[in-house]
Amino acid sequence: MRRIFAQARKELTQIVRDWRTLALALVLPVVMLILLSAGLSLTVNELPIAVQDFDGSSASNQLIDAFRASISLHIVAWPVNKSAEAALSANAARAVLIIPPHFGRDLARGFASPVQLLVDGSDANTAKLISGYASEIVTAFNQQHATAVQAAPVQAAVRLWFNPGLSSKKFYGPGIFVLGISMFPPLLAALAMAKESEQKTILQVYVSSISAHEFLLGKVLAFMAVALGEAAIMSTLLFTYFGLAFAGDPTPFLVATFFYTFCVASFGTMVGARVPSQAAALQAVALGGFLLVFLLSGLIFPIQNIPASIRWVSNLVWGRYYIEVVRDALLQGGGWPAVWYKVLYIAAIGFVFYSLAWRGMRKMQVKA
Amino acid sequence: MRNPFQRLFSDRMVALVRKEFGQIRRDRRLQISLILPPVLQLTLFGFALSANVANVRLAVVDDSRTPESRELISTLTESRSFLLAGYYSSVNQLGDAVSQGSADAGVVVPYDYARDLARHRPTTVQFLLNATNANTATISRGYAEGVLQSYNAGLESQGIHVQVHASNAPDLALRGQVQLMPAYLFNPGLVDSWFIVTGVLGLLLILNSSLVSSAAMVREREAGTIEQLLMSPASTTEIIVAKIAPLFFLLSCMMLFAIAIIRFVFHVPFHGGFLLLLLAGLLCILSGISLGTVIATFSKSAQQAQLTSFFVNPPLSSLSGALNPVEAMPKWLQPLTVFNPVHHFATIVRGSMLKGSGFVDVWPNFLALLLFTLALVSLSIWRFRKQLS
Repeated sequence: MRRIFAQARKELTQIVRDWRTLALALVLPVVMLILLSAGLSLTVNELPIAVQDFDGSSASNQLIDAFRASISLHIVAWPVNKSAEAALSANAARAVLIIPPHFGRDLARGFASPVQLLVDGSDANTAKLISGYASEIVTAFNQQHATAVQAAPVQAAVRLWFNPGLSSKKFYGPGIFVLGISMFPPLLAALAMAKESEQKTILQVYVSSISAHEFLLGKVLAFMAVALGEAAIMSTLLFTYFGLAFAGDPTPFLVATFFYTFCVASFGTMVGARVPSQAAALQAVALGGFLLVFLLSGLIFPIQNIPASIRWVSNLVWGRYYIEVVRDALLQGGGWPAVWYKVLYIAAIGFVFYSLAWRGMRKMQVKA
Repeated sequence: MRNPFQRLFSDRMVALVRKEFGQIRRDRRLQISLILPPVLQLTLFGFALSANVANVRLAVVDDSRTPESRELISTLTESRSFLLAGYYSSVNQLGDAVSQGSADAGVVVPYDYARDLARHRPTTVQFLLNATNANTATISRGYAEGVLQSYNAGLESQGIHVQVHASNAPDLALRGQVQLMPAYLFNPGLVDSWFIVTGVLGLLLILNSSLVSSAAMVREREAGTIEQLLMSPASTTEIIVAKIAPLFFLLSCMMLFAIAIIRFVFHVPFHGGFLLLLLAGLLCILSGISLGTVIATFSKSAQQAQLTSFFVNPPLSSLSGALNPVEAMPKWLQPLTVFNPVHHFATIVRGSMLKGSGFVDVWPNFLALLLFTLALVSLSIWRFRKQLS
């Protein structure tokens, strides 16, 4: 036990000595949390939309005012004599609303009056959002001006659960929290382990009285401490800047965090034990820690959208289960009944990594 | 005296360039990082990142239990947007199903649904959406309202509603309805991957160029051979140009390869000029190489250079609008995208590939990209010279 702690203390001292690794461990996760939550969000406000009003009647002005009142859209000026498509290809607007001549007259006569919305489809998701917003505005406009009997027979009353303000910060914050923990502690662990074999200090470990498990547990413990420190810093940010709070029982989150830090620290140690050079270990962790957790864990987009041929991979991605646990704890509040098996998966994957690291370590002697 | 142009192609220069090519040929990791990232990133990002919302799992509480309510539910689940997750007998059970994640949305049909419809009274069905993911929730709300709208239109054509019009409302008081006719330009099928891969191309060019070049630049320093280069008769300009030229050539090949993937794997159309795209891409590579050189001058080993790039790459990629719309960022971060070459390149690529815009449309972005490249190149030459002397 004493040897495990001594080993852990040695690792932590090495991290503190290099400003790069120290900043990587403590500053970068915070920066990433703020930047990525901004850089991944898909919910848009104040999308520029141009209006070409060929009618100029009071009815068309009312319709434009209805668009102007929306928070999601933002009306920009676009002259009537210029082509509507030019506004899109010059990136001046995301969509153009065209109100034809006689719009007001047709409306007053009780005809159906079409207006056209040209949407820049190059960003498919934003295009869907714009046409959704526009049709909501038009539906509201119709209802406002309709006589009572014209009201639609079946109406939807939509209630948004868990995130009623539709803030995407609250969705991405927990995800990037997981990404940060999945990336930096294993990076440091892999570097430290690869260094032992690169600088041949692993031979000293072999001749010392420390056992393989003591050595590995010491390393894993040190990087678990780093990961827990990161988790503490980042969750402070989640509770303040992101405005999140525990939605239910916090114990699944705490237990899962403990196992997840064990999981990522073992992952890094495993990579470091198997890859002899530090530069290669860095790339391997960046690929495993970042690309897998970033793309195949449901961090940004639902897992169901991944094509079936590669979707099965996400069942093996350790970050996926932790993201679900964290989102449940901070947003949905399902508690143990919803997530107990996910915590077990995390622990199981952690033990697989640890035993692979242990096996890898026995072979380091041959490589060194 | 020989003029500078002749000097550029002198024997010494050729020899230096050949040396660099030889070193790249023997460095297998460098070769892998020229081929693997374009393939892996483009295909993974393009296929895996899809914001498309389909098959939202819908839990149902049907308190009405009438043919009318079952018709409404089958209209909802017949579309590809919703998938029936199961029937529940109470709202509480439905709530549990949504919070445990076995359903994404719920619909509650009230017990007086059919009665109200028969009496021509407006009736309300409740939708509960798991809004954890704001984007998915917004889009599925749109789906729900869209399905209900067409369902209502169906009801009216069946005559349930027209009778009411005729009896109660005098024709003159009737006002026409505004009909919105949306048309999607440039991407009528709303293919998600077109947006993603055109953004990833910019990230790939800048980030991969900087990665490859910082590795190549730092190698000389790591091995300590930089002194030998300095003692050779070659001038610093020659050393720099000879270092950059082979990388530039190889990375340009990588760019063409990546564009081929975008064109033939993802079927992104090519409406604009190829020359504009090519020029912008070359500028991007140049600024990426310069960025890598600057990073290399701050590092003593390949590992340090990689660690340093962890501080540069996240802001470059997340504040670029390459993977999401710029308008989705917080207000205070949006101006920063002006200082990001990836942002300008992504705008140019989307303009020239999808929208068919020419130089007239995107010249501000092109100019900004050019300025960045010049600034980065001069910064890197200055740093490199300082390091040599």
